[in-house]
Amino acid sequence: MTTVWSGVRAAGSARGRRPAPISEKARVERRLAALLCAPAVLVILTVTGYPIGYAIYLSLERFDLRFPENRGFVGLANYGAVLSSGYWWQAFAVTVVVTVVSVAIEFVIGLALALAMYRTVVGRGLVRAAVLVPYGIVTVVASYGWKYAWTPGKGYLAALLPDGSAPLTDQITTIAVIILAEVWKTTPFMALLLLAGLALVPEELLKAAAMDGAGPWQRLTRVTLPMIKPAILVALLFRTMDAFRVFDSIYILTRGSNGTESVSMLGYDNLFVAFNLGIGSAISVLIFIVVAMVALVFVKLFGVAAPGVEAKESHR
Amino acid sequence: MTAGWGRKSWWAVADIVILIYALVPVLWIVSLSLKPLNSIYDGRFIPAEFTWSNYQQIFRLAPFVSALRNSIGIALIATGLSVVIGTLAAYAIARLSFPGKKLLVGVALLISMFPQISLVSPLFDIERTVGLFNTWPGLILPYITFSLPLAIYSLSAFFREIPWELEKAAQMDGATPFQAFRSVIVPLAAPGVFTTAILVFIFCWNDFLFAVSLTSTEASQTTTVAIAEFTGASDFTEPTGSISAAAVLLTIPIILFVLCFQRRIVAGLTAGAVKG
Amino acid sequence: MGGASWWWRVAVVAVGIVLGAATLVGCGAGDAGQVVLAFDTGAEGAGEYRAAAVECSRASGGRYTIEQRTQQSRDTDDQRLQFARRLAAHDSGLDIMELDVILTGEFAQAGWILPYPAELARQIEQGTLRGPLETGIYQGTLYAAPLSTNTQLLWYRKDLVPHPPKTWDEMIQMAEGLAARGLPHYIEVQGARYEGLTVWFNTLLTSGGGSIVSDNGDVLVARGNAARQALGVMSRVATSRAADPSLSVSQEADGRLAMEAGRAAFEVNYPDTYTAMYPPGADGGGGTFIDQRGRPTSRDTGRRVGDVFGWAAYPSVAVAKPARVTIGGNNLGVSATSRHPTEAFEAVQCLRNRDNQLRGAVGVARPPTLVALYDDPAFQKRYPAWQAIRDSLNSASVRPETPAYKSISIVISDLLNPPAKINPDTVVGVLGDQIAKTVKSQGLVP
Repeated sequence: MTTVWSGVRAAGSARGRRPAPISEKARVERRLAALLCAPAVLVILTVTGYPIGYAIYLSLERFDLRFPENRGFVGLANYGAVLSSGYWWQAFAVTVVVTVVSVAIEFVIGLALALAMYRTVVGRGLVRAAVLVPYGIVTVVASYGWKYAWTPGKGYLAALLPDGSAPLTDQITTIAVIILAEVWKTTPFMALLLLAGLALVPEELLKAAAMDGAGPWQRLTRVTLPMIKPAILVALLFRTMDAFRVFDSIYILTRGSNGTESVSMLGYDNLFVAFNLGIGSAISVLIFIVVAMVALVFVKLFGVAAPGVEAKESHR
Repeated sequence: MTAGWGRKSWWAVADIVILIYALVPVLWIVSLSLKPLNSIYDGRFIPAEFTWSNYQQIFRLAPFVSALRNSIGIALIATGLSVVIGTLAAYAIARLSFPGKKLLVGVALLISMFPQISLVSPLFDIERTVGLFNTWPGLILPYITFSLPLAIYSLSAFFREIPWELEKAAQMDGATPFQAFRSVIVPLAAPGVFTTAILVFIFCWNDFLFAVSLTSTEASQTTTVAIAEFTGASDFTEPTGSISAAAVLLTIPIILFVLCFQRRIVAGLTAGAVKG
Repeated sequence: MGGASWWWRVAVVAVGIVLGAATLVGCGAGDAGQVVLAFDTGAEGAGEYRAAAVECSRASGGRYTIEQRTQQSRDTDDQRLQFARRLAAHDSGLDIMELDVILTGEFAQAGWILPYPAELARQIEQGTLRGPLETGIYQGTLYAAPLSTNTQLLWYRKDLVPHPPKTWDEMIQMAEGLAARGLPHYIEVQGARYEGLTVWFNTLLTSGGGSIVSDNGDVLVARGNAARQALGVMSRVATSRAADPSLSVSQEADGRLAMEAGRAAFEVNYPDTYTAMYPPGADGGGGTFIDQRGRPTSRDTGRRVGDVFGWAAYPSVAVAKPARVTIGGNNLGVSATSRHPTEAFEAVQCLRNRDNQLRGAVGVARPPTLVALYDDPAFQKRYPAWQAIRDSLNSASVRPETPAYKSISIVISDLLNPPAKINPDTVVGVLGDQIAKTVKSQGLVP
């Protein structure tokens, strides 16, 4: 997201460096830009724009593949059905819990990881490569790892539990495992974003703070964290959006049983188990609206924080 | 800066903790994949005995081999197209001024956060109607769209750091615009493009939701789905060994990328995100 | 900007390559002159189906070749999803499909399978058991030809009780008595949140004279007292000492294993329970060793569970009112996307003929649908319980033939799991409401 603004800004400064733009040159530039962006715009419009519109349209229809002849416009009835269903609210609650808890844990561990990676004097390259493994690994693969690890009689983690406990058969413990899987996989991403932010904190400032008698904790909370606030917000935004669409790990771990369904799972099940495109689309649109609202809140937050922070070209 | 031995060993401990955190879950799957059938249920982290039979097994399974082919083909094609399209757009964003730029990057941003499930229902209906369901293009198209923001971000971040003045300098030295571009800009841009390609490939390689929703047979099913649908010799049993072996194979390219290009990947992931 | 146009050319070439490759992939399969019929089946019995396909191809005299393909599916839910998706996407690679009996209504209403031609339907009706036949009929038309069938029996330990229980309440009482004496006492039944739980409910409901929904979508579950009675039984089993502690996650295989391990006294399950207890050819069958009182032991006592293992009719909910057991099994449907429906219908007749049904029945332990086979010595030898099976099939009940069945079943199994938390007084109304919504495509499935 910052790329967005920095992109705009960079373009602006690039233009500023040149002599005053001539209208002829601007026109040529515009035409070229249009040509260059055309493929991207085309793909985005056909594979995202049109389907979104179509999803909204489908969500207003009764459209059940099993009753093809009963297809017809039903207005907002599908939304009423979804919003009045306990399944939706349960999935919503599960998704919110997984999102909030995992992003919170990720932030704490990620910050620690970033500080460690930033300050470490031994094996920096090795550590950086290692934390990229969870980021890169296929979610389905990692989820199977966690599933087997917690399966009684099979897993090394289940072996640590008292006899007779089967964490993947109970709602609370299963959600804990889901959160663990999410945290493990995405903390590195969070850490890397924060690490890049740490690189922008001037060393002199920290030294000056230390001179003034600030302890390590105070330097972290009073100097470092405020300085990297933009990086923190971006990292939180990206991760929140990402965590909210959690699907793969739940699909592998429980397939939604024991009340562990996320909203994405619910949408999937109503589309591909019930073959109810109307209800499924209504769920899809609702998820989109929720995500958009969360993003809006973040952007507002961010908008408050953004001015005053100027782009800095600093590379590690 | 004189780091004493005490301090150094403290960091070494911290590093080891990080390594354990990152690698133990992966090594666990490797361990499972090497266990013979009769000791899968021993719950040991390190196998008591090793066997390659799980690996031999999955290559005899027709669905896995075709899924591997599909995964590689689809991810490569989607990566290639996404990077090409992304490069064009990123160049325009980094270098040119034009109306609608803000809108374009804004929309790209929106897509990167878009819940994929929201696109699955319309795409399923559209694809089944136009005959794209369960085909390679049927997966490549959504992959391109969802990886484009990533490509545009990291590429435009890279492009902004290229000293474009060099191009002009080369032209002044008598090179044609094309020569200048080829010999000056391409070598400078190539690392960024390559890094972006890795990130996009990882994205496509990782996908499960589109693959499970928009494919149905060996014609286009990818490995992530194939693994999730592996069946044992009899119904109702989950073939742990085969799944683990397939999972390890799926992880190998990622590990290779990470080991060889960690610095680049870190730069690509974060280049765009922090300069706000 | 020569560079930009260079990139542009690269893009054009790349797009061209992709589209070319896509076309190649899409149209790779050429149409040879010979008719090849795809016969998609589950993994269980794949070998038998393959053998049948070979024989029927030969019998066609070269007019068509049947190619058996094994689906990658873990259960019938997976199987349904895969078929339905391909059919919804007009996949012409499907001809003959092995369909679970619950899919007929859904697939027929959606237009995914073809009705059998009247003449052929009449031939199929001849000699086929009535219950299985009903599962293939939707709104008076035959859409799926019965291939195999299934029904549950009561399996019990003859050494623990003097006679098999006639009713569920008697069974609970017996089990509690065994528990008090410290003997194996669990009642094994399918209580997990899946189709098996719906089957349990449907059997108890229809045994008491009720039904879930009529064929034209009227919700009947809350009418009369049958649902409350059925739910009362389920709740009593789940909350008594007779219940296996893992009842809420228990499926067919779990019950079988509990019985073989000597933990259970009673089990309601399909006939393959018997095959699993005495695997053909193997010498180690018969379950675990049991001591003098019937408790499992690791000592070689010379006496195994298999030595005291018996069967009886499925327990009823009320005295003198035989149970109506929910029918299972698989039918053969012909895909609406098939390019050779005539040949496919013809092939179905061969695939479900006497020889092939017997092969499946012996090989996979799925009872046949042809009446005559129940008198066949080969069949009777493989199924010592054949009489009980036939009796059970003759009084069987069919799960609702509504197209929304699967959604209804998901809602039921969700509401009734875990069985120990069923409140018969309140859940009936909820069931009625939820099912009514589902039938009108207004409900969500979890």
